[in-house]
Amino acid sequence: MLHLYRVPLLVFGLALLGLLLLYQGLGELKPRADWQWMDVVGEGGTALMATIWLLQILSSRPRGRVTALLGLGLAGVALGGAADCLDEFFRLQAGANWDNWLESVLGPLGMLTLTAGLYFWRQEQFSLNEQLLKRERLFRDHRAFDRITQLANAEYLQQQVALERAARPQAPCSLILLDIDRFHAINRAYGHGEGDRLLQAISQLLLLNLGNDDLLCRYAGDRFAILLPGTDHAAAGRIASHLRSVVGQLAWHTRQQGIRLHLGARVVSAVMAGDVATQLAALNAELEPAMPLQAQAS
Amino acid sequence: MLADCYSRDTPLLPAMHQPALLSSLAARRDMASDMLLRGTGLDALALSEGRAAVSPAQLLAMLANLAKQDGQRDVAFELGQQWLPGHYGTISLALLQAPNLAEALSLLITHQDQLCPLLGPRLQVEGKELLLYWTDSVGVGALMPFLVELHMTAVSALCRWLADRPLPWRYCFNRTPPRNLAQHQVHLGSHLQFGCQLDAMVLDSDWLHQPWPRSNPAAYAMLQQQLLRQGRPQYSLVQVLYDHLRAQIGNPPTLEAAATLLATSPATLKRHLAKHGTHFQALLDLVRTHESLRLMQYHGYGQEELAQYFGFHDARNFRRSFKRWTGMAASLPFSLAGAPW
Repeated sequence: MLHLYRVPLLVFGLALLGLLLLYQGLGELKPRADWQWMDVVGEGGTALMATIWLLQILSSRPRGRVTALLGLGLAGVALGGAADCLDEFFRLQAGANWDNWLESVLGPLGMLTLTAGLYFWRQEQFSLNEQLLKRERLFRDHRAFDRITQLANAEYLQQQVALERAARPQAPCSLILLDIDRFHAINRAYGHGEGDRLLQAISQLLLLNLGNDDLLCRYAGDRFAILLPGTDHAAAGRIASHLRSVVGQLAWHTRQQGIRLHLGARVVSAVMAGDVATQLAALNAELEPAMPLQAQAS
Repeated sequence: MLADCYSRDTPLLPAMHQPALLSSLAARRDMASDMLLRGTGLDALALSEGRAAVSPAQLLAMLANLAKQDGQRDVAFELGQQWLPGHYGTISLALLQAPNLAEALSLLITHQDQLCPLLGPRLQVEGKELLLYWTDSVGVGALMPFLVELHMTAVSALCRWLADRPLPWRYCFNRTPPRNLAQHQVHLGSHLQFGCQLDAMVLDSDWLHQPWPRSNPAAYAMLQQQLLRQGRPQYSLVQVLYDHLRAQIGNPPTLEAAATLLATSPATLKRHLAKHGTHFQALLDLVRTHESLRLMQYHGYGQEELAQYFGFHDARNFRRSFKRWTGMAASLPFSLAGAPW
């Protein structure tokens, strides 16, 4: 995303260059023996690090108030550090104190701006967390997320089951598996791109029908897993059949042909107890006797 | 003849066959084409215009690049869903019209140069069970588990589609279980067994001749004629040698005899085998392993009989060799609880 910030980065570069020219023009180069290497490394290092952080922030964030504040703050810190470092190489005329001003204004002002940016970043993160709530449940591991549906995978699900049972050993914790009927036939008939879009739509649909404490994962392929903390078997069964009927109600039209597909799903649910992998294997086996004649793909 | 076999460097596959499938999958996964083609020496433009022909080694390198970018470990399964019947011309059309499993598998085995040039499928029908197992055709190395997942998914998905119902396959893998079974469970099913001696799919042989609803017999017959006119299919050197060793297993086979059969010198044959990551003795041991496990499980052979069958001096000698091939003791009764071999 760095290309979004071409102009601000150019200004930053020019400011660095300007600092150098300013010191060169108004001061004289100190003899090499007078250079304080410890100070050069310390102050120059601050400037260099702040520049790296600036590039990392800008390359990973869209534009906006938070990015602007973080960027300005880090740029200020970097320029302050650079001024401090140039001080070590150039001797200025006695009595000139603009360089002190430069150092003590740029650095602290940068930090103040950065702090403000971090404050707003925290607020932004709260609102993002709310959106991600049913996808990640209080634990973040970006590697576990599927590219198509933006849902976590089976490995993440297993971690979550373990975490949930460790945190609340007394409360029941249920799991639903939901498998789309004849999804492979949809892929064959309308292409895998259409299949991907349908998976995205169904994951949104399922998310809308879940409570705030629940977690939706893409188990694998066209199979979804829903973790329901604090839910007993009867309640999980009701939720499972509700989710199945919700998928059945979806009037999905293919993009190219505009054909309405009639969808169906198979569901199984159980209260998690004992070894997670064994229980997942049993639940998957339970899904297997398919009823392919019940739901036709078009 | 050696010249009739394909090797890992034979430009076997038209660009619009498997390579095009890989390209479109990579594009759907936002993978740049130079990333997919890295290390293959293939030109992206020539490939996209369908001008290039791709060798098994190049296909293998493309698959390795895809596998490297696969954070979710599902690319083998997703590719498998689309691998068969594929868009490979007449052979794909013929597969689509196959009247039953027996015909489909026969097409797959006969035309493996077009359908699955990296792993060779072998069908074994023993009483009530059919066994489809996969062996390395071109020296696939560390990519073997990935390719096994791909090919097993491909055959399972093809059968599910053409039979209009999932067939109750059981799967055996010659590897330790993966960390997470989710992809296997969803794409293959829950009858999974790891730590077996070979990579095989097992099914009741009754399924072989169950009619498939999509088939059109007249179209199938015409497509078969067309396939005949295409000329003789090629097999990989490793697969040809496997067949030869299996036919001669009791004799016992020698490198010289194999070289004569292939109309080449032993030194040349050795060099070709080395290029495919194997050597004569390794291949002979593999064939003997497969044969002894089959004879033990389905025909009740004991060590004495096996030693005699393979031309060993005595049972003790055989026992030691078997232990070296498989890491297991060759003791009866030999049945891995429903799992073959």
